[in-house]
Amino acid sequence: MKVRKNLPEIMKQLISEQQYKENIVHWHTIEEKEAKTASLPDNIHPSLKDALQKRGISRLYTHQKTSYRTAMNGDSLVAVTPTASGKTLCYNLPVLQTIVNDPDARALYMFPTKALAQDQKSEINEIIQESGLDINSYTYDGDTPANIRQKVRRAGHVVITNPDMLHSAILPHHTKWVSLFENLKYVIIDELHIYRGVFGSHVANVIRRLRRICRFYGSDPIFICTSATIANPLELAEKLTEKPMKLVDNNGAPSGKKHFVFYNPPIVNKPLNIRRSATLEARKLAGELLKNKIQTIVFARSRVRVEILLTYLQELVKHKLGPKAIRGYRGGYLPTQRREIEKGLRSGEIYGVVSTNALELGVDIGQLQVCVMTGYPGTIASSWQQAGRAGRRHDESLVIMVASSSPLDQYVIQNPDYFFNKSPETARINPDNLIILVDHIKCAAYELPFNAGERFGTFETEEVLEYLAEERVLHQNGDKFYWMKDSFPAHNISLRSASQENVIIIDQSDIANVKVIGEMDRFSAMTLLHDEAIYLHQGTQFQVEMLDWEEKKAFVREVDVDYFTDANLAVELKVLEQDKIRASSIGEIGFGDVSVVAMATIFKKIKFETHENIGSGPITLPEEELHTSSTWLSFNRESLNYKQDRLEQGLIGTAHALKHIVPLFVMCDPQDVHVIPQVKAAHNEKPTIFFYDRYPGGVGLSEKIFGGIEHIMHETMEMVSRCACDHGCPSCIGTDTSSEMAKKDVLLILGSFKKDVNSAGDRIVH
Amino acid sequence: MQVIELSIKNKLNRLKGHLGTDNDNQPTSVQKHENIADVPFKEVWANEGVYPYYFEDSYCLVREKEYSLDYRHGIYSFGQFTAAVDAWNSSSLKHPLSASGHGPENLFFFDTETTGLGGGTGNTIFLLGQASLHGSKIKLKQHILPHPGAEIPLYKSFLESIDYSTMVTYNGKAFDWPQVKTRHTLLREHVPKLPPFGHFDLYHAARRMWKHKLERIKLAAVEKDVLGIERKDDIPGFLAPMIYFDFIERKDPEGMIGIIKHNEIDILSLISLYTHLSFQILQLDERQTSREVYEVGRWLSTLGESSQAVSAFNKISDGESSEALDARFALAFEHKKHKNWDEAAKLWKDIAEKGLINMKVISCIELAKIYEHRIKDIGQAIIYSKKALNLLEADNGTEKVKIKQEDLHRRIVRLERKINRAKTSL
Repeated sequence: MKVRKNLPEIMKQLISEQQYKENIVHWHTIEEKEAKTASLPDNIHPSLKDALQKRGISRLYTHQKTSYRTAMNGDSLVAVTPTASGKTLCYNLPVLQTIVNDPDARALYMFPTKALAQDQKSEINEIIQESGLDINSYTYDGDTPANIRQKVRRAGHVVITNPDMLHSAILPHHTKWVSLFENLKYVIIDELHIYRGVFGSHVANVIRRLRRICRFYGSDPIFICTSATIANPLELAEKLTEKPMKLVDNNGAPSGKKHFVFYNPPIVNKPLNIRRSATLEARKLAGELLKNKIQTIVFARSRVRVEILLTYLQELVKHKLGPKAIRGYRGGYLPTQRREIEKGLRSGEIYGVVSTNALELGVDIGQLQVCVMTGYPGTIASSWQQAGRAGRRHDESLVIMVASSSPLDQYVIQNPDYFFNKSPETARINPDNLIILVDHIKCAAYELPFNAGERFGTFETEEVLEYLAEERVLHQNGDKFYWMKDSFPAHNISLRSASQENVIIIDQSDIANVKVIGEMDRFSAMTLLHDEAIYLHQGTQFQVEMLDWEEKKAFVREVDVDYFTDANLAVELKVLEQDKIRASSIGEIGFGDVSVVAMATIFKKIKFETHENIGSGPITLPEEELHTSSTWLSFNRESLNYKQDRLEQGLIGTAHALKHIVPLFVMCDPQDVHVIPQVKAAHNEKPTIFFYDRYPGGVGLSEKIFGGIEHIMHETMEMVSRCACDHGCPSCIGTDTSSEMAKKDVLLILGSFKKDVNSAGDRIVH
Repeated sequence: MQVIELSIKNKLNRLKGHLGTDNDNQPTSVQKHENIADVPFKEVWANEGVYPYYFEDSYCLVREKEYSLDYRHGIYSFGQFTAAVDAWNSSSLKHPLSASGHGPENLFFFDTETTGLGGGTGNTIFLLGQASLHGSKIKLKQHILPHPGAEIPLYKSFLESIDYSTMVTYNGKAFDWPQVKTRHTLLREHVPKLPPFGHFDLYHAARRMWKHKLERIKLAAVEKDVLGIERKDDIPGFLAPMIYFDFIERKDPEGMIGIIKHNEIDILSLISLYTHLSFQILQLDERQTSREVYEVGRWLSTLGESSQAVSAFNKISDGESSEALDARFALAFEHKKHKNWDEAAKLWKDIAEKGLINMKVISCIELAKIYEHRIKDIGQAIIYSKKALNLLEADNGTEKVKIKQEDLHRRIVRLERKINRAKTSL
């Protein structure tokens, strides 16, 4: 009988066996770390001390102690903590001790999801119960029964909720929460790094409203935030709360030795540079681990892939481990279901978990020995969060990242230095995005009238208030602005989605089980979801049977065809306002507001492999207009001295490559930034590449691109030049280019800007 | 280098399509500085009996009007309201709407008009209306918000005028009073505390009494179909927010006067409605229909006023009308409550032959229970259970059936087991 291998033996096998060895591009070892602890603070109430000791806590980790001291000192703070480092004590301890000192004190906990709120309620309630102290903590969300809501409002010392509930149920009814707002000592923001982009910009405004109401009731709470590792936790926390913050990053939690392996699947088609699928490779690796009963978590980027992996792995080990030994985690699980998985992992009944990145969000299911990522998760920060799932405090652990063929994955896998040495992404928010801001000023005016000259957070409201008064949303009387509409503004404002409706993608392959598989912004939908389009969803082909533009629904059916579709989008891009510009001998980089008018015209059916055009059809959809912020890169015509078509091919390829690298630098979803090449831009008649925020008004992504464009160009150039293909492939410049010179031209274009721009000196115009 | 400078306002106008403030109206011109204490259209207001109430450097508007006790509002005169309160005081019935222990002058009738429909901090009350008995007159008093900045005088004026023990409203428990509390909280530094009140919410009473004949139990429907009140040139309440927004912009009282009169009728109707409900509950109304008597009986029964309920049901239990059958069915349950098994069984036996499907089936089941547990005749219990089952099986679905066939099967199986056990043990 074959002997089961343990983890060190498996690692030896990975290094020595040809089938694995040749695919391992990098092996990085992180040494183990001892715990750094400090004594429990003296002034902690004996019952609380007791409760902690019952839970095996007799000393604090250094970051927990610093957080406690900072908060008790009256300062707001952001604690940066990796997975499983006891972050909840960073806030639970000062909050509970404060309530012990003053039974009137209140705390508001905000978690990005209901599931996390439930988890945390159980956690804090366990401590409270063990301490025997008379402290009430409740969750307040859509599931809270009506009959206990009043009790929560009146008597909840700790109210645990989510930003959406705060926005639409608590703040607009603040008069029912007088005892909370009068005595609010702490606001806890967990998973701070989630609050970025459009969502973060909304939440920053919800916090402006919260603090405005607190001021009305005479309170000024301390904010305690916890964040995963990102480049700018302090900046994000300060921008989100508009409070001065202290950074706590002296993590004292111990960690075992960790091996981080970069795994690039082998090339199966040399000229097209196509690699074996990441899902298949991940499956093979996970299968090997699970057969040896090594507890493994596999991350996949979509629910469908989770299903595929799960089915396969369960089949593989059915007889060895039993059908329940491998579980799927698809997000939206109830706490009890998660507890069951956690328990199963601890007792050894469960060996494997296959999860979407839903698990990234702090939900605790315990620690495993190995983590396999199917594809790069999209950001350095979430890679570390996923990697944090592997590794108990004292054991060795292994993380394998299996790259897909996408340019972003290929860039990361071939740049281990970039991944390990660069600080993780910067989280951006733009609370002053006018569309988001105006929405929340309406809500704020509903909650309390505005005084003329009053600031909303740091924003000067005068012009917005006057605008809203002219639009008859507010009524100005003397020096006050009153809400004067018969509606409830928070109901029409969702924190989670863009102002414009997205198109919902509905899979009707199985008539009995029609389901929504995704959504797409309207702009992208025009070219990707028109009638008859072949839409690729997580690697599966679907054909769009009908796009209902009025209802914003695309009905698709699974197909298996040998072509893809490519739609022509006539984009008219007008620069409305130029805020900043840097010029050089090569060209100029600008930033400002643009109007984008787009109309889909025709689509072509293009055969795989040969790229033959095998048919076409018209698209009849109305024009879409978007006002947003944009960064553009214009080249002087003489510095790109090509014929028209080569120039065009070069710009298209460059845009494709940039499009995939940009999200890496601005920490956003690939859909959040669009990249459009123009041979002759309307405003300066120069060959130009535009980057623009997809969200109307912009959320700061383009501005970030403006600041780091040279770096982005350089990294993109490196990525393209490292790609093993001959004349361009999906992993670098895409397949939209037909010229054999395209790849070379792209490299020239990307290289042309280099550092030249900086040397010319910045000329910033405001 | 050309730079186009744009202000935030220009940007806002450019982004208009995304802002959801699309408005067909012309932008308004904002009057920024008006003399706060100047009352526009003062004479027009005075013609309507509306005068300013000044507090500190601001004012609200107050309208007062008196009605004699002979004044008829629908089928009642206001004199009958005092009769109704007297009737409560000479009745021993315990009822949530009972005015026992109060004089008619202790009650005040209350209704508001607001700038929005749902609850929420930003929904402003712009009219607080009240009426009560003073000597031999009904006095109506309405406090009007002339602009949103005048809430302090508004609540000051209101709070000075509500020295009563009990408030009477229509849906005020769910809407008007919580909204008053909400707006009051915003001003609590500047105005006196809200006093505690008893609260008669007539909406729930009206629902109990007339949901059998009214599709929606709106006050307007009750007025028309129950109280014989006809409104002339009435402005529907849902227009109130729009009219108010127009008023604060143009200051012209014209539209507001319509809303004020609408509110006045609402409040006067509360007096007639309270009078009518009192006579209904105390069964002093000669024109009371048997259906109304039945509903009163049911209400009294749920309140635990069993003997009063029985006397109500007894009044209408003769004959074969549907009310009579309903009353006998209800009476049977009252007898059951008092363990008068024979009386109850007699009534149920009768209804099991005559009633609608649910009544028949439930009567059979009740009989089965009596035979099983009281008379200890399992055979008869089985017969009635089977009869109920047959009725259900033969049902042609005109009525939504409340009893499930499985439950009856289970009952029959259990009873048969019981009878077999009894046989074998013999």
